[in-house]
Amino acid sequence: MNDPGTSAAAEESIPDVPTRIRTGLAAGFWTSLKIIKVSVPLYVAVTLLKETPFLGLLGKVFAPVMGIFGLPGEAAFAFVAAFLLNMYAAIAVIVPLHLTPFQVTQCGLMMGVAHNLVVEGGVLSTTGTRGGVLTLCRLVVACGAGLLLRGLWGLWDSAASWATTLAGHS
Amino acid sequence: MDVLLSSLLGGLKLSAKLILIIVPLVTLFEVLRHLPVFRRAGNVVEPMMRGVGLTRDAAIPLFTGIFLGIAYGAGIIIRVAQQKGLPARELFLMGLFLATCHSVIEDVLIFVVIGGNGPAILGVRLGLAVVLTGLMARVWKPA
Repeated sequence: MNDPGTSAAAEESIPDVPTRIRTGLAAGFWTSLKIIKVSVPLYVAVTLLKETPFLGLLGKVFAPVMGIFGLPGEAAFAFVAAFLLNMYAAIAVIVPLHLTPFQVTQCGLMMGVAHNLVVEGGVLSTTGTRGGVLTLCRLVVACGAGLLLRGLWGLWDSAASWATTLAGHS
Repeated sequence: MDVLLSSLLGGLKLSAKLILIIVPLVTLFEVLRHLPVFRRAGNVVEPMMRGVGLTRDAAIPLFTGIFLGIAYGAGIIIRVAQQKGLPARELFLMGLFLATCHSVIEDVLIFVVIGGNGPAILGVRLGLAVVLTGLMARVWKPA
């Protein structure tokens, strides 16, 4: 075992390029089906819910929590979709909500860390490490990342406005 | 009725956008991932991995997770982890890194499509993963 990093890859027989393309396209096709199956109904549901008082009410309930991260309360619905399902589901909820670029970025960051918790928690625990601990870590890290981004974005904004003022004076 | 129809169209458009990113990305990855360049890349990343308490044995599952994601890369992650008999400490550190930073290309691209800031998402995730795993590696000393 003088070269453990490469021997594991060598144990896998290498398929030829057409086979690889086919594997990739097949994987892409199944992912596409999954995307349509989840995203279209959710997108429609959120757009319709926006016409009712329900979404606004939900937003008010979660506004204090979501506000910590600079997000509107309605975004809580997107987080539920991300935690239980996946990023595509979350995106289908986010788009009809018409968030600002910062809010979209914030969602992308926090949900990127913590999504699909049920399935991925299962995978992480099969590697032998405790899946529950890591899932908890993901939720904590997601919150930490959200606070960090909010701070950094604020700094960036003030630095940018400071720079434009400076440029304006010269 | 108008709302239903237009939202249906909106949902389909969004799906089409996402699919246009995912299919080429997955296909490209399948074609490229067997290139010898990536085998040799192990030498380059080894010092970086040591910084977060990982050895070369964890390289394949780690990078599979970073680029492909935990669900899609599950097969490779689980198989290599068992073949190599990675110690519990290393499995946990790898898990912690991947929990924070995985499937980065796909996740970032789909949020850029809907108006997010890609470098900000990528930077914070990668930075946090390195800092957290590095700290944890110093707290949990190797046996």
